[in-house]
Amino acid sequence: MSALTMPLPGTARALRLELKRNAVPYLLPLLAAVFYFNTLRTADGFPPVWTLRASVISAHMLFEFSAFAGGLAAWAGSREGRRKTLDLVATTSRAAWARLSIALAGTLCWLLLAFLAGVALLYGRTAFQATWGGPPLWPVFVGAAGVTVVSVIGFACGVFFPGRFTAPLVAIGTLLLYQAGMHAAQSLEPGQAAYALLSPADAPPIVDAGIYHHVPPDRAVVQVMLMAGIAVGLLGALGLAPDLRRLATARSLASVRGAFARGDSWLLRTIAVVLITCGAGMAATAVSLAGTAQPDTIAGGWEIPALHSSAVDRSLPAAQACTSLNVAGSAFQVCVHKAFSFDLKEVAAALKPVIAEIAGLPGAPVGASEVASISGGQTVTSGMAGHPPVFTFTADRVGLMFGQFLGMPDPAAWRAGFQMGLLDAFLTSQPGAGHPAGPTRSGAAQQAVENALLTAVGTSPSELGGGQMLNGRPNAATSAAISAATRRFLALSASARRAWLAAHLSALRAGTITPAQIP
Amino acid sequence: MTTTEVLKPPAAPAGSMRPISAGIRLTWLHLRTRRVPAGLLALAVCGALLRAALHWHWTFNSGPYAQQVPMIIEAGAAAVIAVTVHTPFGETEGSAGRYLPYLRLLAAIGLTGLAILALQLGAVGENLNEGVTVLARTVVGFTGLGLLCSLITGGLLAWTLPMGYMTFCQYALLEAWTAPWTWPVRPAADHGAWICSCAVFAAGLSLFTILGPRSRLSDNS
Amino acid sequence: MNVTLTDVHRSFGKNKAVDGVSLELGPGVFGLLGPNGAGKTSLLRVLATVLPPSSGEIALLGRDPRMSAARRDIRRRLGYLPQNLGYYPSFTVVEFIEYFALLKEMPTSAVPKAVAAAVERVDLGPKAKAKLRTLSGGMLRRVGIAQAIVNNPDLLLLDEPTAGLDPEQRVQFRSLMRSLGENATVIASTHLVEDVGAACSEVALMSAGKIVFRGTPGELTARGEGHSVGDAPLERGYSAVLTEARS
Repeated sequence: MSALTMPLPGTARALRLELKRNAVPYLLPLLAAVFYFNTLRTADGFPPVWTLRASVISAHMLFEFSAFAGGLAAWAGSREGRRKTLDLVATTSRAAWARLSIALAGTLCWLLLAFLAGVALLYGRTAFQATWGGPPLWPVFVGAAGVTVVSVIGFACGVFFPGRFTAPLVAIGTLLLYQAGMHAAQSLEPGQAAYALLSPADAPPIVDAGIYHHVPPDRAVVQVMLMAGIAVGLLGALGLAPDLRRLATARSLASVRGAFARGDSWLLRTIAVVLITCGAGMAATAVSLAGTAQPDTIAGGWEIPALHSSAVDRSLPAAQACTSLNVAGSAFQVCVHKAFSFDLKEVAAALKPVIAEIAGLPGAPVGASEVASISGGQTVTSGMAGHPPVFTFTADRVGLMFGQFLGMPDPAAWRAGFQMGLLDAFLTSQPGAGHPAGPTRSGAAQQAVENALLTAVGTSPSELGGGQMLNGRPNAATSAAISAATRRFLALSASARRAWLAAHLSALRAGTITPAQIP
Repeated sequence: MTTTEVLKPPAAPAGSMRPISAGIRLTWLHLRTRRVPAGLLALAVCGALLRAALHWHWTFNSGPYAQQVPMIIEAGAAAVIAVTVHTPFGETEGSAGRYLPYLRLLAAIGLTGLAILALQLGAVGENLNEGVTVLARTVVGFTGLGLLCSLITGGLLAWTLPMGYMTFCQYALLEAWTAPWTWPVRPAADHGAWICSCAVFAAGLSLFTILGPRSRLSDNS
Repeated sequence: MNVTLTDVHRSFGKNKAVDGVSLELGPGVFGLLGPNGAGKTSLLRVLATVLPPSSGEIALLGRDPRMSAARRDIRRRLGYLPQNLGYYPSFTVVEFIEYFALLKEMPTSAVPKAVAAAVERVDLGPKAKAKLRTLSGGMLRRVGIAQAIVNNPDLLLLDEPTAGLDPEQRVQFRSLMRSLGENATVIASTHLVEDVGAACSEVALMSAGKIVFRGTPGELTARGEGHSVGDAPLERGYSAVLTEARS
């Protein structure tokens, strides 16, 4: 009996009993399996960028934990009803609220432990793979708050409705709330109901979120505030649970008086009411703050004026990883943000053959550099910038391709995306424009030249899955003309192509050349 | 007393039940011990939730992701069926006679059918992406999982496996898996998914009918 | 006096479970007899502060249980064994008793010794670390008794305490009740008249919510002289009083 001699305070001893005998550990293997298949495999599909990997906490981990946390907490809360110990525990002196809180704390400890273990595994794997940055903490706070509030909701439902259907109904109820919030958050437009901002569920952020600019924590703050408010309010409601149960069965004024005469002290009841009020106030404040949300003009997303700090609007220090290519005797520097340095070699390898085709031509870029995908609240598209021109692209967009830095499901198509993006910018932008001109719609002649150059470097235009830019949909005649011009231009020698381009690039960019005029 | 009198059963006393009405009475009492009336109410709630989800567009209207929310509700219906298998009597009931397996079988099949009906009623007039066939297949398969789980955890925690498998299938939906054991995310024409779902249901139903859910004297509700 | 009841009534709808009971009890073992539905359990639940009386005055251990601070103090000094004992199957014997010792706000440093002593007093030492789901019905009853006595209560309420106990254990339990009754008020509701005869210094007989007899076991036995129903003198006294009360 050595365990009994440990000098722990009474509450800690009771909590230790709860931790030892809780049902949650028996279901951890199932939870771990779901975590592996849902959260971890999804995270592994993202590049090792902290913000992207952390997004699975709200988007996936919270979903699977909600399924179990709500139901298991309802199971724990209904224990006294299921085990017919209500009378027995009612004769003890410790306040019912304390007793229920200990049971809730035991369940919550296990769930939070499992949650944090999952986060540690996720962040640990990312730490080994990431090339820049550090673990964001706000997603963890939001996730922990989510697990907590779902557990408290489930426990309260179990206390007040200790039936066999409570646990499964709580489980699907929380999942439906989560899914509805996810749907609302993903389809949120400025001016729509801002309550969708309060849902922790959301689609993954843009690829370079948190890399060039801070991710404002405003939305996370109101989410935590809402969930904490609900949890605190329900905790207060648990303090009134015995009174509410007795009131539910009271049939007369005398019964009502008797019901109040048997419960905890009026001080505890007062504290319970205060907690309910504070929780409701906190939740209402979060809802009203979310209603003031505006689109973030710096880094995209949303900001809440009352919570927004100007320090967050400052750009993060630039951190680039570069490599230099020797193309036609001159250096061509390819740079990406350090967070994507794992893709630097592939980007350089993709661009090199195309650079070799156009090096030295008017308006040919002298380098390629990744820039932020959001600037001044506007989406940045790839193009040519500066003088001498540099091909700029973003982690989110290269030409018409989205999410190039999210991964390489098809390496050939991935390479083709960069090559096409460079040629789109080269063939449509005017030299010296000094402003990153987004890819504009090509004319037929531009498309024909682009197709020929791509084929010349070994990339089939069909790799791009039809993502070519054209003014509207070409009719059959135009398509045939483009194909013929492509074949003719490809049949020329490399030097002939360069010579023709050197002489006709301006006209080509101005759109005054037709496919028939291409040699 | 002659042999004939010994072999011939005594005449039923006046006022006793006929076998058919006794069977109905027994079935009704059995269903009441499993809280089936409350379970039907819970299934009706699931049907109402499905209607609300489809009517107020809690999810995507079309495409593969349209199956996300219906899958949750279908798993919930299966979870409700799973917890109705819990017996409050334990060994007392198990030793009482030979009708219990038939009653279990009848209750499980009946509730599965009623669950599908309740959900389909909820989807009437709304756009349920994959239709009633996928709904039925999903409920059938998840119910089989719940019945299998009850053999290990007992009825009261038998909802955990359908819920866990549903969260796994949500990932399979996002990744567009085609394996037949991801039957909730497969199209209606996928024969492998049908085979898998029905096999799980058959296995769960058979074992549950023969063995019954795990129970202890201490379990009561 | 540890227990003072003055014209206590408790009704459930139209059913008068306790109908005008008045009692004053000091230290000792007090038996509560009566047929099924007489109101014994309801009276015990009122004394255990689980049910409020519909009317009447109650004082337990010199305090008024209507006041929350007083009620809390009463519960610290109270032990209660209900007729249907609920429990947590995954708890061990020691954990279950410890849990209730903590709920009764016993000084933490005293809990281990008190739990060990309670386990020994009900003779469950070899089963101290066994899970409750592995115990027989009689052993579970003894666990229930142990949780009721762990805090050395001044008021001990036992509803059918010997149900499921074998004769040897019943003898031991009666001895335990007598020793507890030296300093505390022990009220045991039971159907087993021999328990009452062996352990109780005083006995009350309830019928239809009222106390129809109060006295010593010997006085109850005397009431049964000449009465034919019953196999033992105390049983004859029991049935004689009930017959008289119903007529």
